[in-house]
Amino acid sequence: MLLEFMIMCMKLEKEIGKAFSSLSMSNRNGPFKTFSCPLMDSRGMEHEATQLEKQHVHSVYENTAAYFSDLQTKAWPRVRNFLLEQKPGSLVVDIGCGTGKYLSVNSQVYNLGCDYCEGLVEIARKKGDEVLVCDNLNLPFRDQCFNAVISIGVIHHFSTKQRRIKAIKEMARILMPGGQIMIYVWAMEQKNRRFEKQDVFVPWNKALCSRHFSESNQSGDKGGFVHTAKGQDIHPAKLVISECSYQNNLQPETDSKHPRSMDHCLPRACCMKISEEENRFYSALGRSFRSWFFSRSLDESALRKQSDKMKHLKHEGVWANSAVPIQHSRHCSLDLGHHGALLNEQSLDYDDDVFVESLSLKKPQWSPATDAPKDLSLNGGHQNVAQSKGDKSSFINGPVEDRDCICGCNKDGAGKSDASKFFKRTSTTDSTDSALDSAVSVGDQTDAMLDPKAFMRYYHVFREGELSSLVEENVPELQILSSCYDHGNWCIIAERRGT
Amino acid sequence: MKLLTHNLLSSHVPGLRPGGGFPLRIEAAEVRERPVPFNAAFVSRLVPRLRWDALREAAESLGRPSELPPEPTPGYEADEEFLRRLHHVLLEVEVLEGSLQCPDSGRRFPISRGVPNLLLTEDEA
Repeated sequence: MLLEFMIMCMKLEKEIGKAFSSLSMSNRNGPFKTFSCPLMDSRGMEHEATQLEKQHVHSVYENTAAYFSDLQTKAWPRVRNFLLEQKPGSLVVDIGCGTGKYLSVNSQVYNLGCDYCEGLVEIARKKGDEVLVCDNLNLPFRDQCFNAVISIGVIHHFSTKQRRIKAIKEMARILMPGGQIMIYVWAMEQKNRRFEKQDVFVPWNKALCSRHFSESNQSGDKGGFVHTAKGQDIHPAKLVISECSYQNNLQPETDSKHPRSMDHCLPRACCMKISEEENRFYSALGRSFRSWFFSRSLDESALRKQSDKMKHLKHEGVWANSAVPIQHSRHCSLDLGHHGALLNEQSLDYDDDVFVESLSLKKPQWSPATDAPKDLSLNGGHQNVAQSKGDKSSFINGPVEDRDCICGCNKDGAGKSDASKFFKRTSTTDSTDSALDSAVSVGDQTDAMLDPKAFMRYYHVFREGELSSLVEENVPELQILSSCYDHGNWCIIAERRGT
Repeated sequence: MKLLTHNLLSSHVPGLRPGGGFPLRIEAAEVRERPVPFNAAFVSRLVPRLRWDALREAAESLGRPSELPPEPTPGYEADEEFLRRLHHVLLEVEVLEGSLQCPDSGRRFPISRGVPNLLLTEDEA
């Protein structure tokens, strides 16, 4: 029985793998194109994506904008240099300018900034910057009018690959031939460790904005934060937590047998109706501002849904395993390009990984490895988890419950199959106890100072080479000039082709 | 919003004919003039990038009689008087309150506190 089940999973994983491959090769007519799932057509996906970003990007920035006004922000040197290299009289635009950090770097060029968030744009305006409010996906500029474009810590907020592509294409459209664009995105591969999955929710903590960040990294993350009371005390409960009217198209078979204290799957992950349990959860979470949540990428969600339909799998709660695992990190979610500045230099021991804690869980959850085929190429077929050492938590060979029907398989390079290796472990917050345990164990003990209420920001963190590939395969009008890794970010500079 | 910025803006309401979104018509309720340090080389470099007619139109719509010629005259790079007038129109005049109207669709985008908001609704996009 188990064997049959596993074989079914292997076949399914193959289909998923094929579909992923076709996703990444935009011109290919892959199996993906033959799927037609009424529940997840492209318009439906767009709506899901928009809703997710509304809740976990735009709403967060709007509600937290006030805290950025006295933040001493650091401009990335590479970005500064890029701007300073532009010829005098150039027209330069910062797409996703936030508070306008880069708009005063080079006074010899015309600096224009735009951002989706009115609150942040207001702050930039008060500094005297020329700014406007608009959408990266629909830039209100005529074609080919800018000499240079920068996109610093922006496109990792787009929740689907197609949207990320569209954002880049829009920016390419407004670039003059010969004009250059610099793009910075948060990297999956961080110093000493990596995000385990690419689609994550990262809590924001208002206490962090009270700090004045120095140029050097903090020597320790314990007790390093000073919480200064801010006059304007935004209550996340009022602003973020609201009735989630967001319809869950991805999970028609709502699994009522498995009530969750927290909706984890996309789009439900965005539901911020905070219950009692969740409150405890967030309180514990707040004790470690370094924690983040994983979400499933919308691309993956859509794919799985279609695979499921195709396979006529019986299951309840397709997204049972989309329970969002919590993994602490040393990174602060506060960005505007600053993750690097806040990166804790201390090395992380993988034993700190919350997944280890959840070994005690009775109900392990399974999920397909994200971008499994890509993993093969990037990681030489090794299991793509951030557990190069201490693999104890990565493989669980245990009974798989009926509802955990979607199993992830990471084929190893040699093509050998080892059943136990096929299942990538994710922890589950189905049991908030485990979550609480995990959160507490992370251990920033001087957390009375930290705000227990955190906003969750969505990120798609990029693997090495992903940004370049995205551009090469989908934005032929751009030619990549250089790429690098900079303080936890992948960065590329590309030029608009043509004369 | 400065007029240089305005010169770069185009309506992106879907379904417009090519070029149909430019230039946006300015309806200004409040305009301000603020001095900006003059940089001849800077202004001179901007000239080829500008949509000249749209710029003149914009200046006139703000009630400022256009001091600009119908076209940049050859040798403008050395014409300081021309460059100063251009500098003034491009950089020293700001629309603080008002709206921008798409010429084709009629859709209006607000300008408030000097910031234009060009977001479309989800339905529009």
